[in-house]
Amino acid sequence: MTRGFKSIETKHYAERDAFFAGLGRVSRRSFLKLAGLSAGIALGKGLVTPHSFQLVEVADAAERFTFAYISDTHLYPRTLNDRFVRAILKAVDDVNNLQPQPDFVLMGGDLAQLGRKEELDLGRQILKAVKAPIRMMVGEHDWFLDLGQYWKSLFGAESYSFDHKGVHFVTVMSVQEKDFWTERGFTPEQRMQTVAGLDNGIQSRFEVGEAGREWLKNDLAKVDKKTPVVVFSHSPLYKYYRPWNFWTEDADEVQAILRPFEHVTVIHGHTHQLLTNRIDNIHFHGMLSTAWPWPYAPEGLPKLTIQQNRADPFDQFDGCGDGSVDVVESGLVNALYNLWDRNPVTVRASYVASSGAQEAPPRTKLPSY
Amino acid sequence: MTPKTTLTFIALPALALGGLVLAQSRTGLPRHDAPPSPSGNLTVALCDGETVAEVPGVKEGETPTPEQARAVADTLMTEWRRKNPNAAWEGEPVRVAQALPREGGEKGAPAAAERPKEGGGGAGGLPAGPQGAVQEGQTYGAFSQRDERIWQAETEKFVKEGHDVFHDAKAFGGTIAVSCDMCHPDAANTHPETFPKFQVQLGRVALLRDMINWCIQNPARGKPLADDDPRLKAMEAYILAQRKGTALEFGKH
Amino acid sequence: MLRDRTRTALGAAAALALVTSAASAPVPKNLPRGVSEVLYEIVVPPGAEPTPEKVALGNKLFNEKRLSANDQVACATCHDPAKGFVDHKPLAEGIAAPAQRTQRNSPTVLNAMFNAAQFWDGRAPTLEEQAKLPILNPIEMGQKSPDDVVAKLRGISEYRSAFQQVFGHDLTYDDVAAAIAAFERTQYAGDAPFDRFVAGDEKAIDESAKRGWGLFNGKGRCNACHAFSTVSPLFSDQKFHNIGIAAHKTDFIDLARKATAIVRSGDLKQIDELAIQSNLSELGRFLVTKNSNDIGAFKTPGLRNVAVTSPYMHDGSLATLWDVMDHYNKGGVPNPNLDGGMQRLGLTEAEIDDMVSFMASLTSAKLGEFGKQEMARQQARKNVRPERDTAVATGKKGDLGDLAPTPDRAKPAAFGVLVRKGTSYD
Repeated sequence: MTRGFKSIETKHYAERDAFFAGLGRVSRRSFLKLAGLSAGIALGKGLVTPHSFQLVEVADAAERFTFAYISDTHLYPRTLNDRFVRAILKAVDDVNNLQPQPDFVLMGGDLAQLGRKEELDLGRQILKAVKAPIRMMVGEHDWFLDLGQYWKSLFGAESYSFDHKGVHFVTVMSVQEKDFWTERGFTPEQRMQTVAGLDNGIQSRFEVGEAGREWLKNDLAKVDKKTPVVVFSHSPLYKYYRPWNFWTEDADEVQAILRPFEHVTVIHGHTHQLLTNRIDNIHFHGMLSTAWPWPYAPEGLPKLTIQQNRADPFDQFDGCGDGSVDVVESGLVNALYNLWDRNPVTVRASYVASSGAQEAPPRTKLPSY
Repeated sequence: MTPKTTLTFIALPALALGGLVLAQSRTGLPRHDAPPSPSGNLTVALCDGETVAEVPGVKEGETPTPEQARAVADTLMTEWRRKNPNAAWEGEPVRVAQALPREGGEKGAPAAAERPKEGGGGAGGLPAGPQGAVQEGQTYGAFSQRDERIWQAETEKFVKEGHDVFHDAKAFGGTIAVSCDMCHPDAANTHPETFPKFQVQLGRVALLRDMINWCIQNPARGKPLADDDPRLKAMEAYILAQRKGTALEFGKH
Repeated sequence: MLRDRTRTALGAAAALALVTSAASAPVPKNLPRGVSEVLYEIVVPPGAEPTPEKVALGNKLFNEKRLSANDQVACATCHDPAKGFVDHKPLAEGIAAPAQRTQRNSPTVLNAMFNAAQFWDGRAPTLEEQAKLPILNPIEMGQKSPDDVVAKLRGISEYRSAFQQVFGHDLTYDDVAAAIAAFERTQYAGDAPFDRFVAGDEKAIDESAKRGWGLFNGKGRCNACHAFSTVSPLFSDQKFHNIGIAAHKTDFIDLARKATAIVRSGDLKQIDELAIQSNLSELGRFLVTKNSNDIGAFKTPGLRNVAVTSPYMHDGSLATLWDVMDHYNKGGVPNPNLDGGMQRLGLTEAEIDDMVSFMASLTSAKLGEFGKQEMARQQARKNVRPERDTAVATGKKGDLGDLAPTPDRAKPAAFGVLVRKGTSYD
């Protein structure tokens, strides 16, 4: 693999390579012939596990392509905290052992915990082990120590767009904050510590900001309204729970910019939980964190969300994970939550598009929050 | 029992009923003998050494009923008050079983129920200062506005300390810079109102502080705090304060 | 007496707690210490309570070699009552031995009645269902079909009349299973020195075992899966975990691919055969549920009488309790499905000795002598430690894990159980 950062699971993934190479891409019908009852049961359970066994590969319509994500890794220096390092390595292994490989891997933001050089360097070094190309997204934990200077020097522009197989991807920097630190005389470290705390209420609410919205408008001006648009954003781009900054202050304006497009999906980080929402034409899918799970907010939870179980803190991986996103024919997405130590959950485009009427993922019987 | 003992025996419950609070106490109470009644009825003397009443229908050596005892106590009291019109005397006992809402927003305006019925108040008619009446005859149970503010402020300060410890891994001894608010922002998902309950991670019925210690050890990799550690208590206070008003649901998993 | 009153109270509470029918089998009055009345009520279905006649018949059947195809193998062959109901072999050997051994270690019958499901992979939901399978398994007892068994037994007049007496009709395969299950429902594991300690006798176990109990609940991280409470004193959570034992085999992933292709869900016989005979056995619970999370997962066994039920794990691959401790100390063997709760523990040799001491205190009084012999035998091999990996256990290699320091407590019993009065610990 790469210098120095092999996880203890790596050796066993060599065995899995053989399996995945053998299985290849199997269409639904032929797999069912092969597997008999087991696939049917897996289907019935809504299990799609490309990360483990690729028991069934299901698409509502033809799939265009798949990308994977690793998000919210919140790295500290390894000597201080190796638990988060272990988790990101597990995610890197998961992603490297997907068969077939995803078209690219999104890093969903919050690579570092306190935005320090050594944390960002550590994250970058670990991510070099990912085989597929990486698309970076910035989170508030990466940004507010030096207002993004080091992050930009490592990873480039914080907002950018690209087209891929007929879909327009745009990564938008959505964790800008109005200045709350100057009047309080904060040092950069204090500013970062304040932003790092979810519930202190001192930091400003996230926003894309006027400049950001202008940039987005201009970028999308060249895009045909029928072209599917997938937005990568760290904050949710809607208003979920203000006290915890599960919130984008100018969400309404941003959604207005996205409204003219037929198929829009937002993939966002920051919330560290299974989260699904739909506002008019826009589908919102939250990403899991590798480091720790957030509980659901006391109010504002979108009702489409299939809640995950309350995580058991005995297991550092419970409630955490990575995932992948299948972009389907229509240009919308099926989001797979690869929860570690739990059954995976797939939230399909048809489920979101029908506002929960069709193809609901099985709801857990275990206690939620 | 001798008559005197009987007297004392009766007199004490009567005294309790009357709620007598002596303005002064004397060491070595004088023994005085109640003069016997010509009709042979039971006589009861008041502790001032002067006032005496007799219980009609009850002979010396017999025990009166509670109603009779109360009647004679009332008689004695009325007589005593007549003799001592200026004495400070607390009437009906203050019922403080329920916390009563404060009347008015003024500093130091005590609720009407605690105002003495007789007399001009313990301060003897002096005007209340900016912090209100300091004391009005009663020491115990007389909570003033100022007292309550102080206590509330102290409690909130303790809760704030708990908040600070909760949000700072170094403060409670975590070694990997993982603080409680990472998984429990605003102490969410702590469910303190469900303890005691069977806590799976501990394998036994546990209280909130047991779980706090478990979390300090496991996800936060610190050493558990001693049961009487103020940091532990402060964190408990903070967690409970976040759930103020939530109904208790003991044992709920 | 207090006990009866409380038992009624407990019974009432349990009856309220039971989601299913309000009726349940009556709880025997003289359960030994360490056997829970509440659990008894939960696991023994009404109508299945062991009566003396059924138990006697079941006992006879349990030891009956003629139940097998070649008249050589009885239940007791692998579950030897004299040896703690196990055979002390790594893998059970039935009629096909030594040419073919099964793939699984024989679990003990003691306390088996309290399991939520039977077998290492939980494929049989009840004792009755469990009893039926080894008789029909080709390499265990080798009978071809239930009809063969019934025909053979009906040909033995003493059984014919015994069944007629006990069940009131001509014997059926279900009756055979019912009788064996009734016998098994009298085989408790309780009355251990640890139980007396929990009941308040500070001298029942030595200081080393007490420290071990403390470690069990602290640094050892054992109580999460080997859960103990007075209501469920089994030392097992009855769930399935992949602790990396199956990972000793190298073709682990390939197996899973094969399994998805051939396992027919719900076909208990097929799953039984795959589990016992084929190399798919290593997949454990996955064969039953086909949940990818269950690959290589096996049921947490109870720890009572663990001193006398070596060798350990589903494949008997760990010979002594010290080997078991080494396995956990290094965080199990890494594999893609390793349970997230498995981590390196950083236990020192002295702490390992304490924990083994504690486990030895879980031996039932009636097996006390045997327990002492077994522990002496294991102790003699204490310096042969094929599983030990100190570098990983101490964190010099690999990941640090979340170590819970064992708190500084003067009274380790304070960890667990303080309810003494009015339970079977009275």
